[in-house]
Amino acid sequence: MEKKKLTIALAGNPNSGKTTVFNNLTGNRQKVGNWPGVTVEKKEGNLTFKKHNFKVIDLPGVYSLTAYSLDEVIARNYIVDEKPDVVVDVVDASNLERNLYLAVQLLEMQTSLVIALNMMDVAESRGHRINVAELSKLLGAPVVPMVAARNQGTEELLQTVIDAAEGGIRVKGINLHYGHDVEAEIEKLEKSISGGALAGSYSPRWLAVKLLEEDKEIEKKVGQA
Amino acid sequence: MNYNELIRTRDESLAHLRRIHGDDAETMIADARYGFISGLMKDVLEKPPVEKVTMTDRIDRLMLNRWLGIPFFLLILFGVFQFTFTISTPLINWISQGMDWLAGQVAEISPAWLASLLSEGIIGGVGVVVSFVPIIFLLYFAMSILEDTGYMARAAFVMDRLMHRLGLHGRSFVTLMLGFGCSVAAIMSTRTIENPKDRLVTILVTPLMSCGGRLPIYVLLTAAFFTAYQGLVVFAMYAIGVILAILLAWLFRKKLLPGESGHFVMELPPYRLPTITGVLAHAWQHGKAFLTRAGTIIFSAVIIIWFLNYFDILDNIGRVIAPVFSPAGFGQWQAAVALIFGILAKETVIGTFGTLFPAAIGATGFGAVLSSELGWTPLIAFAFMAMVLLYIPCVATLGIIRKETGSWKWTFFSFGYTLVLGWLVATLIFQIGSLFI
Repeated sequence: MEKKKLTIALAGNPNSGKTTVFNNLTGNRQKVGNWPGVTVEKKEGNLTFKKHNFKVIDLPGVYSLTAYSLDEVIARNYIVDEKPDVVVDVVDASNLERNLYLAVQLLEMQTSLVIALNMMDVAESRGHRINVAELSKLLGAPVVPMVAARNQGTEELLQTVIDAAEGGIRVKGINLHYGHDVEAEIEKLEKSISGGALAGSYSPRWLAVKLLEEDKEIEKKVGQA
Repeated sequence: MNYNELIRTRDESLAHLRRIHGDDAETMIADARYGFISGLMKDVLEKPPVEKVTMTDRIDRLMLNRWLGIPFFLLILFGVFQFTFTISTPLINWISQGMDWLAGQVAEISPAWLASLLSEGIIGGVGVVVSFVPIIFLLYFAMSILEDTGYMARAAFVMDRLMHRLGLHGRSFVTLMLGFGCSVAAIMSTRTIENPKDRLVTILVTPLMSCGGRLPIYVLLTAAFFTAYQGLVVFAMYAIGVILAILLAWLFRKKLLPGESGHFVMELPPYRLPTITGVLAHAWQHGKAFLTRAGTIIFSAVIIIWFLNYFDILDNIGRVIAPVFSPAGFGQWQAAVALIFGILAKETVIGTFGTLFPAAIGATGFGAVLSSELGWTPLIAFAFMAMVLLYIPCVATLGIIRKETGSWKWTFFSFGYTLVLGWLVATLIFQIGSLFI
C-alpha cells in the first residue's frame, strides 16, 4: 500500500548532534542547496522506513526562535509556512536545561514535536539521571533517548515520528502561563487578531506573544496581511 | 481591526506592563520560559551533588551582581594600572639611564651627522620607545591573568547588560576588551558577530579603546606632569576611551545603522587558576609585537623624522598644521609633527619627541623640556593625551578596517570621525579646563 510521504523538520541547538542525526536518517541520499533568497545552506534528504517515505529537512542550528538572526527566522518560517508533519528537536541530554529553551518555543508554536534526546551517553557519564517518561509527560511530547554518534535510537525515533504523524501518539504540548499580567494582555491582543487574515496560518495566541516580544518579523507580516 | 490599531493596542499593553513590572514584556516572557524549564528540571533531572554550589558560583554571585558588577570591574581595572605602574617605574628609569649613557657614548663619534643620527634619531627616538617594554609587558601580564582566570568573560557579561540596554550587541564588548591590547586583533575578532550592522559598528568604535601603543605616551606624560596621580590619570584615559566607544556605538547604531541588534548567550567558563607559563606566554606575545614595531615601523619613522629635522624641513611641515591644534593648547609644530607620524604607529609620537629633544629621555627631564620649550602645562598634557587616544587609527588598524568592512567609504569615515572627535575632545578639555585653572 502506497503511503503519503511524511515531512520531518530537524531542529536543534548548534552542537546538539543534529547533523549526525540527519546523516543517520538519510545516509547518502542528501541534497544541498540554499534557503530561498539567502545564502544559508539548506540540506534535505529522503529515506524509506517500514514502507513509509520520508523527506527530512535540516533546519539551521539555533538556540531560540526570535527574529534576531537570519537562522532563527529561516527555521521559524519553515515551520510556519511549510507545516512539516513532524518537527524533531535534537536535544543535547548533557546540556538539557539550555537545550529545552528551543523545545519550549517549538511547543509554543503548537508543532507536532518529537524530542530526540541525544548524547545520553555523555549525560550518563557526567552522572546525570534523566527521567525520560516524566520529561515526556511534562512537555506533552514524545521523547526518544538516543546516542546518534553510535547510531543508537534512529529506528525508535522514526517509529515515534510515524506514530506522532498518524495520531498513534497525541502530541499534547504545553500551555505555558506567562504570568497574570502578561496573560491579560495576550488575551486582549488575541481578540484583536482572531478576525484577521493571519489567523489562518498562525495561532492567535502565538502571534500575540510574538507581538508582545516586539518581534519585527511578525510585525511586518501583520502589516502585510 | 487594522494594523495600526493592533500595534497601538500592543504598545499600550507594553507600556502598561512596563509600568507595573518595570520590565519589557519580552523579558517577562523569556523569564516565564526559563521558569518553566527550571521547574521541569527539578522534576526530571538528578545530578551528582558536587555540581550544586561551586566556588565559581560563589564568586560569580559577587562579580555578576547587578549593582556591584560594574564597580568591581572598574576597581579591578584600576588595580591593574596601579600594579603596573608601581612595579615598572623603577625598571623604566634604569633603562632610560642606560639609554642616556649610551647616547653620551655615541655623541663623540665623527662625522657629526652620524653622531646625531645615532644619539638623537636612533637612541632618542627608538630608545625612548623601547624603554617602555617593562610596562607593556607587565600590563599584559596582568591582563592575561584576568583573561586566564575567566574574569574577562565576567566583565563582558556585566557590560553586556549595559550594552543591551543601549541597543548594542553584547559580543561587541568582548571585542572592545581585546582593543586594550591591539585594535587590529580586536577588529579581526568581530567576525564572530553575525549581525552585519552590529559588526560594522563594533569595527568603527574599536579604535577608540586605548591600545598598548598609546600607553608609553601616557606613561611619559603622566610621569612628567602628574607625578602623584599617574595611575589615576592613565585610568582616566582608558575610561574616556571606553565611554566614548559605547556612546558612539549607540549613536552610530541609532543614526547610521538603525535596526534590531542580535541576542547572544554569554558563556561563562568556570574560574581557574592561571598557569605561570600561560600568562608569561601571553605577555611575551604582546611584548614581542611591541619590540618588533619599535624595530621596524618606529625605527624607519624615526630615521625619516631625524632626516627631515636635520635639514630643517620638519618644522616647516609642522608649522603648516600646528595652528589647527591651537584651540586645544598644543599648537606647536613639534606636537603637530608628532601627531602626523603617530598615525604610522602611536608610539612614534614619543619617538618624535625623543628625536626632537634628545637630551630629555628620562621622564622628569621630559617634563622640563616640554614645559620650557613648548610651554606645556598639565592641562595641555591631558588634552594632548586625549587627542592621542582618539585621533585617527594607526595605519595597521586602517588597513584591517578596509579589509574587514571591504569598503573605502567606512575606512575614510573612521579616519575622519576619529580625527574630528579627538580634536573636539582635546579642545573641550583645554578650553573648559582653562576656565578653572
